[in-house]
Amino acid sequence: MNLILFDLALLGYLLATVLALVHLVQRQEAIYRLAVLATLAGWVLHTLALVVRGVEVGRPPLGTLVEAMSVVGWAAVLLTLWAERQYRVKVLGAFILPLVALSGVSGAWLPPGFRDIAPALRNAWIWVHVILAMLGIAAFVLNFAGGVMYLLQEHQLKAKRPGALYYRLPSLETLDRMTYRALTLGFPFLTLGLLLGALWARTAWGSVFAFDPLALFSFLAWLVYAATLGGRAVAGWRGRRAAYFAVVGFGVLLLTLGAGLLLPGRHGS
Amino acid sequence: MPELFVSGLSHKTAPIAVREQLAVEEDKLREILVDVHGAGVLSEVVILSTCNRVEVYGVADVPGEARALAFRRLAQHRGVDLAQVEPLLYTKSGTEAVQHCFRVAASLDSMLLGEPQILGQVKDAFALAQSCQAVGPLLHHLWTQAFAVAKKVRTETELARHAVSVSYAAVELARKIFGSLEGKAVLLIGAGKMSELAAKHLADQGAFPIYVTNRTWARAQEMARALAGTAVPFDARAETLGTVDIVITSTGAPEPIVRRADVERCLQGRRSRPLFFIDIGVPRDVEPGVNELDAVFCYDIDDLRQVVDSNLRERLREAQKAEALVAREVAKFVARDHDLEVVPTIVSLRERLEAIRRGEVEKAYAVLPNADAQTRRAIEAMSQAIVNKVLHAPTVKLRELSRGGHGRTWTEMVHELFGLGGRGEEK
Repeated sequence: MNLILFDLALLGYLLATVLALVHLVQRQEAIYRLAVLATLAGWVLHTLALVVRGVEVGRPPLGTLVEAMSVVGWAAVLLTLWAERQYRVKVLGAFILPLVALSGVSGAWLPPGFRDIAPALRNAWIWVHVILAMLGIAAFVLNFAGGVMYLLQEHQLKAKRPGALYYRLPSLETLDRMTYRALTLGFPFLTLGLLLGALWARTAWGSVFAFDPLALFSFLAWLVYAATLGGRAVAGWRGRRAAYFAVVGFGVLLLTLGAGLLLPGRHGS
Repeated sequence: MPELFVSGLSHKTAPIAVREQLAVEEDKLREILVDVHGAGVLSEVVILSTCNRVEVYGVADVPGEARALAFRRLAQHRGVDLAQVEPLLYTKSGTEAVQHCFRVAASLDSMLLGEPQILGQVKDAFALAQSCQAVGPLLHHLWTQAFAVAKKVRTETELARHAVSVSYAAVELARKIFGSLEGKAVLLIGAGKMSELAAKHLADQGAFPIYVTNRTWARAQEMARALAGTAVPFDARAETLGTVDIVITSTGAPEPIVRRADVERCLQGRRSRPLFFIDIGVPRDVEPGVNELDAVFCYDIDDLRQVVDSNLRERLREAQKAEALVAREVAKFVARDHDLEVVPTIVSLRERLEAIRRGEVEKAYAVLPNADAQTRRAIEAMSQAIVNKVLHAPTVKLRELSRGGHGRTWTEMVHELFGLGGRGEEK
């Protein structure tokens, strides 16, 4: 049952992705409204799928990396819908939805018999640790998209050859504010999530990192984001520099995911 | 049958030398409008006269005659020979006239696509014709619809969105960098029409404060007064750079007056706040290479022109969207107009059948004096059902035919067949 719902949700996201990209090219209001509808439909189905999944397996749907990725996508879509309204950036969906759809598609391709969290490890703190980290990462998806859009728009303005994107993307100021907001939103979640994980690891294994590649990479990502925030507060790093950091931080998060999927460690794979 | 038509000349068909001889100012136009309408050839008329077009929108039985009359009168005003104007005129009627009217109002037929003045001129022309009692139901419907279409084009497409003048293009670029211009500080170096205009546009958008500097102190003070700004000594310009967001330069200096080194120095205290140079001076006032600095954007006059060109291309693309929108609106207008054409016929047909029904029902009651309430209800229901069923097919068919443009022939036939009287008699 939950798999059908996940597939339908993915279908909604794929449709929304196509519509958002068409809107990016054609800029027709009607197409944008359809894209939002498809996104909403996908998100509602996604919510249902997660709930049904949780009920069926008898634990929060965060036990495997694929499930966790799915929750990141779920939160990222919600954030996108909010940010599009908050910052009047109608083209945001065209940048984030492909990522969500892609993660959904790749998630569907990963081997189904993914190792679940060992029952011995299951307790409330684990779930809080995972959910906080995933919500933080969802905000960093927005941070990344904002950074990419900033760099594209800045390039257009520097090159003085206004192309299609120049007209479609919002002002640098708006993009910088959105990127920064996403950072300040995601950072506390990630910090708390990692902190809980570290504390838990110490009680369970007696070591904060316990030779776990995923934990190491996520700490690295945390450092990048911490540096961005610090640089902004101390030296006023904004604009292009903040955008570069957003891209680098997201790159490290992807490495984290790759490490979790491919390298042996304590995060379930 | 009276027909809608538009006839005239525009920048597309006639040179300025002809247009200027036909263009009329408002008072004279009122007089001409009254004359043309009073001649009895046109039942409705609106004349649109701008520097780019002179057009007569009318409803007449014989459009050719009406057109000759109107333009003879327009030509007579400045003693122009009608024969010289005639070959330049275009005439459109029916659906094409509707389309033309919508396109003109939406600024799709303008010399500069999407320019905003035309809608005001169209509205003025309509108001003038209305005040002369020259507007009837058809033109009223057409023009109010044209205003609505123009508004729709403005809000649903970006036809008029992007700037096509250098000074506005500069303001738009500033908005792409800063978002809102509220509270952004501006430094104006040197004088010049274009630079002052740009500064004024920026101030209109909330930019504040405006600093002004000039080699001549008196001139700086004078400009500061004109722009409600603050005069700054010319030698202090490099220091001022650090505190402003937008710099407009326009001096006659033979070499750059803003050096890359100056800008680099001021960047240290800016914490990556963007700095935007609008360099209108030729030769350039801002050293090239400033654009390469982080968070600094420098546009010279050629760059701005390039942006304008690109904006024009963007308008052309948007114009296609607007054309499609206009086409849809024209189709809607024509369909409604055709509906209006058959509605009176359907109404009188129904009235005629209803009268027959009443008469026959009365006769039936006369033969059945003892009919109880139930019988009477049955007779009423039956007779009404017959009328409705008889009417159903012709009603649907007439509407259908009218959309295909054959409404007039068929309504006449129906009038003839059912003895409904001439079309002119109803109402």
